[in-house]
Amino acid sequence: MTDLVRALAEASQVLYREAYYVDAQRWDEWLGLFTDDCEYWLPAWRGEHELTANPKREISLIYYATRAGLEDRVWRIRSGQSIASTPLPRTTHTVHNILVEDVADDSMTVLSTWTAHCFFHKLNASEVFFGDYRHSLRKTADGWQIARKYIVLKNDYVPTMLDIYNI
Amino acid sequence: MKANELKFNDVDRLIVDNVEQDEFWVHRDLYRDPAVFELEMKYIFERNWVFVGLDSQAPNPNDYFTTWIGRQPIIVARDKQGKLGAFINSCAHKGARIAHHRDGNAKQWVCSYHGWAYDTAGQCIYIKDQDAGCYAEPFNKLDHNLKKVKFGQYRGFLFASLSDDVPPLDEHLGEAKKMLDLVWDQGPDGVEAIPGVSTYTYNANWKMQVENCIDAYHLTSCHPSFMNIVSRRKAGESRNTQVRSIDFNVMDVVKGGTACFPRGHAVIYATNPLESERGLFVHKDEVVARVGETKAKWMLATRNLTIYPNVQFAENASLQMRVIRPLAVDKTEMTIYCIGAKGESDAAREIRIRQYEDFFNTSGLATPDDTIAYEDCQFGFKAKKLEWLQGTARGITGNHRGSDDLSREIGIEPETGFMGPMGAWDETVYYGGYRAWKQFIKDGLEADGLL
Repeated sequence: MTDLVRALAEASQVLYREAYYVDAQRWDEWLGLFTDDCEYWLPAWRGEHELTANPKREISLIYYATRAGLEDRVWRIRSGQSIASTPLPRTTHTVHNILVEDVADDSMTVLSTWTAHCFFHKLNASEVFFGDYRHSLRKTADGWQIARKYIVLKNDYVPTMLDIYNI
Repeated sequence: MKANELKFNDVDRLIVDNVEQDEFWVHRDLYRDPAVFELEMKYIFERNWVFVGLDSQAPNPNDYFTTWIGRQPIIVARDKQGKLGAFINSCAHKGARIAHHRDGNAKQWVCSYHGWAYDTAGQCIYIKDQDAGCYAEPFNKLDHNLKKVKFGQYRGFLFASLSDDVPPLDEHLGEAKKMLDLVWDQGPDGVEAIPGVSTYTYNANWKMQVENCIDAYHLTSCHPSFMNIVSRRKAGESRNTQVRSIDFNVMDVVKGGTACFPRGHAVIYATNPLESERGLFVHKDEVVARVGETKAKWMLATRNLTIYPNVQFAENASLQMRVIRPLAVDKTEMTIYCIGAKGESDAAREIRIRQYEDFFNTSGLATPDDTIAYEDCQFGFKAKKLEWLQGTARGITGNHRGSDDLSREIGIEPETGFMGPMGAWDETVYYGGYRAWKQFIKDGLEADGLL
C-alpha cells in the first residue's frame, strides 16, 4: 500500500504541476516537465469510437516525436505574431481519476481524466474541453519528468481554437 | 427585412461590378445580413451542386456516410450493386433520422421508431404491420422510399443537388475539372481521405473561408509566426526536425497567378522552387511517367482551389480538403481532411501528414490564425455604420479575360485571370465568386417569380 500511495502522490504532483504551469502560462517551467525525447500525442478520431492509432499513416491533431514541437508552440505563443494566440484564453485544468500502473523505481504509467475550462475574451464565452491522459513518467536527475503524454480529446467538435493550453 | 421580401435589386446593389472603370466593390451586408444568408442557402446551396465527399469514404457495397446539402441532412450510400447515390436522412413515415452513425456499412436501415426499413439504394423494403394497417389508397400510392437527391461524380469527387434543375455536373465544374485532375491524378488510382478527420466551427460568415483559400495577400501578415518558425528550424534555432514545412519566405523565384471559372470556382497557383519537400516528390518518377513533366510540375506546385460553394482543395503546405457548411450568417462549420494518393508509400504519407498537422490542421500553427481573423472581421461587421469594404481592388490593372502564359502552361482556359509580380497578391480572384453569387440568386428569384 505504501508503494502505491507513494507512486500515486508522486504521479499526482507531476500532473497537477503540469496543469498549474499551463494555467499560469509559465511555459519554460511547463516545458521543463517534459524530457527532450518525449512523445506528445493527441490523436484524431476516425469515427465515433475509434481514434487514429498510427501517427505515420493517419492524422493526429498534434503529434510530436520530441519536445521540440512543444518548444515551437511556446515560441509562437510568445511571438506576438499569432492573432489566434493574442490574447490567450484564461484556462483552468483539472486532472482527476488518477491511476498508476507499471510502477518501478524510475518509471510508471499514469492514467487520468481531465477537463480544461477556457474563457475566450473576444467572445466572452467559456468552453470546456475534456478527455483522458496517459502519461509515461521517468525519474531523471530533475525528478519525475514526462517521457510521453498521450491525450484523448472526447469533445473534438472544436469551437474555433485548439492548442496546447486547452487540452 | 425578411428573406422573402428581398428582391434582386436589394442584393444586386451589394456588389458593384464595374471593372471597365477599374472598380469592383462589395458591401459588408453580404457577410452580416441574415436575409442575404437565407437567399444564399436557398439558391446557392440548396439549388446547386454541392460537394459531398470522396469515393474512398464509401468504397464497398453497402458502405455509407452522412453529410449535408446546405441545411438538409443526407446519406451518401453505395448500394449492394456498388452504385453510389444520395438521399435525405429522414424516414418517410414520421421523419426520424435513419442513419444513426456518421458512417458505416449496413445492408439496410430499420427506423428505430416504427420499424420501417430501407435498403442502401434508399428503397423502402418494409412497412411494419402493413397488411393489418387498414391503409387506404391515398397512402398506398405514395412513394415511401427515402427521398433521392440528384447525385453526380467526377473522378472520385462526389456531388449532390437538392434540385434536379441544375446543369450536368460536368458542365457545372467546367474548366475547374482540370484543377481537380491535378489533385486526382497524383495517384494512379486517385486520392483518398486519410483517416483522422477534424470538425470545427468559427463565428463568422462562410464566404470568409471561401475567400481565404484563394487569398495570397494575408500570408505574410497573418502567418508570420509560421513562416518564422520554419526559418528558425532551418537556422537550427528550433530543434524540431520532424517536419520540413513549406518555406513561404522563399518567394523571389516563384511565379504565380490566379484564375476564375464560371459558376464561382476559382484558383490561385504558384510555382514551387522546393519540390523535394513535398510528399508527392517521393513518387515523382512514377507521376511524370503517367502525366508528363508539366502536369507533374504543377502537381508539385502550390494550387489553392475553391469549387464553389463548399469545397476547397488547398495544396501548399500539404494537400488538404476543406468542406464548408454554413450554420448561420455569422457561424460556419468546417470539416477538414488530409488527402493523399491511394497506395502511396509510407515515406510520402508520413511527410504529408506531418506537414498537414504543422500548418493546416485545426490545431496547427496556421489555420487558427485564419479563423480568428475571420471572427475579427465579423466583429468589425457589427458596425452597420460602415458599408463598403476595400478588399477587392488589388490586381485590377493586371486582371484580364481568358488565359495567360501561366494558366496556359497549367492547361486551363479561365474566364478571367491575373498574372503579375510576387507581391501583387491579387484580389480580382474573388470576382468570379461574386459574379456567380449574383447569378445564382437572380436565377433562383426569377424561377420563384420573386425577381
